Amino acid sequence: MTKEKIKNYIPKNAKVEFFGNTAIFEISSFDLKNEILNLHKNKKLLLKLVTATDERKENGCFKIWYIFGSPKENIFIIPFIKVKESEEFPSISLIIHKAWNYENKISSFFGLKPIGHPDNRTIILHENWPTNIFPLRKDFNWQKKPAEASGKFNFQKVKGEGIYEIPVGPIHAGIIEPGHFRFSVAGENIVFLEPRLGYTHKGSEKLFEILPLDDKIKLSEKISGDSSFSHSLAFCQALEQLSDSKVPKRASYLRVIYAELERLANHFGDIGSIMMDTGFSFGGAQGARLREMIMQINEKITGSRFLRGVNVIGGVTKNINNDVKIKLANELQNILDDFIQIIQIAENSSTLLNRLQETGKISSEIANDFGAVGIIAKSVGFAFDARLDYSYAAYDESIKIDIPTEQAGDVYARFRIRVSEVYSSIEIIKTVLDKLPKEDIILSNQVTIFKKRSIAIGVVEGWRGEIIYFITTDSNGNISRVFPHDPSIANWPMIGFAGLNNIIPDFPLINKSFNMSYSGNDL
Amino acid sequence: MTILIWIIQLFFVPVISPLIIGVIKKIKAKFQNRQGSSIFQFYKDLWKLMYKDEVVSKDASWIFLYAPFIIFTVTIAVGASIPLFASFLNGPTSDLLVIVYIMAISTFFLSLAGMDTGSAFGGFGSSREMTISALAEGGLIFSLLTVALVSSSTNVFIISGINILTHSQHLLSIMLAFIGFFIILLAETTRFPFDNPSTHLELTMIHEAMILEYSGKRLALMEWASANKLIIFIALGSNLFFPLGIAQNISWLALVIGIIVFLLKILFFSTIIAILESSVAKFRFFRLPDLLITSFILNVIAIVLIN
Repeated sequence: MTKEKIKNYIPKNAKVEFFGNTAIFEISSFDLKNEILNLHKNKKLLLKLVTATDERKENGCFKIWYIFGSPKENIFIIPFIKVKESEEFPSISLIIHKAWNYENKISSFFGLKPIGHPDNRTIILHENWPTNIFPLRKDFNWQKKPAEASGKFNFQKVKGEGIYEIPVGPIHAGIIEPGHFRFSVAGENIVFLEPRLGYTHKGSEKLFEILPLDDKIKLSEKISGDSSFSHSLAFCQALEQLSDSKVPKRASYLRVIYAELERLANHFGDIGSIMMDTGFSFGGAQGARLREMIMQINEKITGSRFLRGVNVIGGVTKNINNDVKIKLANELQNILDDFIQIIQIAENSSTLLNRLQETGKISSEIANDFGAVGIIAKSVGFAFDARLDYSYAAYDESIKIDIPTEQAGDVYARFRIRVSEVYSSIEIIKTVLDKLPKEDIILSNQVTIFKKRSIAIGVVEGWRGEIIYFITTDSNGNISRVFPHDPSIANWPMIGFAGLNNIIPDFPLINKSFNMSYSGNDL
Repeated sequence: MTILIWIIQLFFVPVISPLIIGVIKKIKAKFQNRQGSSIFQFYKDLWKLMYKDEVVSKDASWIFLYAPFIIFTVTIAVGASIPLFASFLNGPTSDLLVIVYIMAISTFFLSLAGMDTGSAFGGFGSSREMTISALAEGGLIFSLLTVALVSSSTNVFIISGINILTHSQHLLSIMLAFIGFFIILLAETTRFPFDNPSTHLELTMIHEAMILEYSGKRLALMEWASANKLIIFIALGSNLFFPLGIAQNISWLALVIGIIVFLLKILFFSTIIAILESSVAKFRFFRLPDLLITSFILNVIAIVLIN
């Protein structure tokens, strides 16, 4: 059935390998552009990410993977090219704009040059990193600190009378993650904005290759701390595919509950912060309060405010017993009652709405070109949601999921998306609590042995958007490469366009409405 | 006796001002269902800052170094030359125009100090402060002019000595002028909806951006001065427009009543400010001139109505 669907997308003469709902096939560098264009334009597949693997030891080449997803059908089509002697590959950034940063990243971390890419600056690695050392190559000595280099990073310049450049960050006045923003302004108007990230780069991708398995799961919880559960869920789901592990029904239901609790906590926090950044302190305080209530629920149920240590291969470690179940339902009802009142007050504040509306607009064309996911995509009318598109855990078990969309693409639209998702999350948790099947939460004595030379993709709709884990194993069945793809990686490049033609004092609000992870982007 | 009253007058503003900041913060905290810090916290903060080391940029000139002292001194001088609790402490600097333009000295040095170290945020703050204070000046002068016209004097002590509310034929003018004045009060004391005194977002700041480079003693003086300014404006607003309860002669009873009434007036204004800050969002920067022009127009109408 799945194979039949997949066949539609693949050229007739290609040699296809199947891994569950994923199909990979090799294309030559020469055919790359045509084939990509065909999948993207004609077959309407979405490019999810582009990444590379270093398989020089086993296959004598690098491979570059172009991961396409087909929403609703829950299948992934992955063409790849082999890069042998030349250390170069053709760039597709001018065909699919989304590939821009991914190709730059391959160039920075694998030392493979995208030919035809207009921007040859390294990303994430900074000027103090030597330009001839590529950390994701297998022969990179990760235990040795490379010599300090001193390069120069060229920001894009805007010239003209009265244009000023304002450097902001990486250290900010508030307690937020580090990131540098270079504004070019005419008076208070933002003419151009270029973000520079990488300050929280910690070698996560390399660590995924080195650490023992249990620590890998812990590491996935720390890719972006506020999405601990979703990240480890995506990772565990991919590992379960690789090892053919069974997940008991109760565990998959519990995973839905925990994932939605995480979404609730973060949406409450964001809704509050958006109001706080406009100076609407009442809303800000209430958002923080509701978030804290969810965090305390998390701690009571699992012992961790961020739901860490819950996901394992083949299930979850924390159960919800009957007492807790009833209490949770009651507390959620109280939270919902409070939330409805708060949103009523907020929606009646004309000064608040005036700040939110028309601020930080992005158009659906921009969102489409950059391959926006999650809240940003929904705020311009794209109803992308991995819970429906690539259904997982218990989401396909006749649970009604409302995917809210807005058209305006401004801060208010993103605010409204979060509000609607709060309602739908509470609804989902209630439904799932009612249906919770009586079973174990993890099957005992299940041995995890990974398939050899295999590929798996784990997709989870985190609260920001879809989190994708791309995992490969080598000929011994060891994990050879993990690309933990946080939605922030896809959404960050759009911040410059959201800020365009707004005034400087509105930028913090715009950035807050995006609220992307620096850690998840820098890896 | 007179010397004693003078001493009280001189120290009243700097001694009481930190308390007002504490009270406003407390009320705001209560509106947010929070406990909030003690109303005396600002005294402790000032004390703490006085004993902290300072970091001064190597690019800083004498303006950066001396501006806090100039600004603080201005607020003390102005604080001593306006009616607080008594209407008979007339001095050489108690003229409306003198007061307004002595205050302008502090704004001038504050803006220069903001730009002095060459940091982008300081420049922002200064540019925004200039935009706002240039527009606010018209409103401020015209609203004070209204009360001056009604009481036929530009001396603030004389104005507060004559209870202008007894000029009932001018009540509408006075009320319009007061509304205009209150808008200016919010602008000049960096309050909502103009500026957010508790923000941590460096890109949105006005007053905070200008003092971002300060630390230690000088930061303490800057913050203290801005608290003083708040009391000065509250004093002008309450004693020129509603001089009720102000001590008219040298007697202990009158003075005690004067001080208590003034404290109550301050409390009242603080409550209004706190309620305002808890119930609205900050305005978009380019909407602020509209508000300031509104103040100006109200005051022009007020003056036209007097004849």
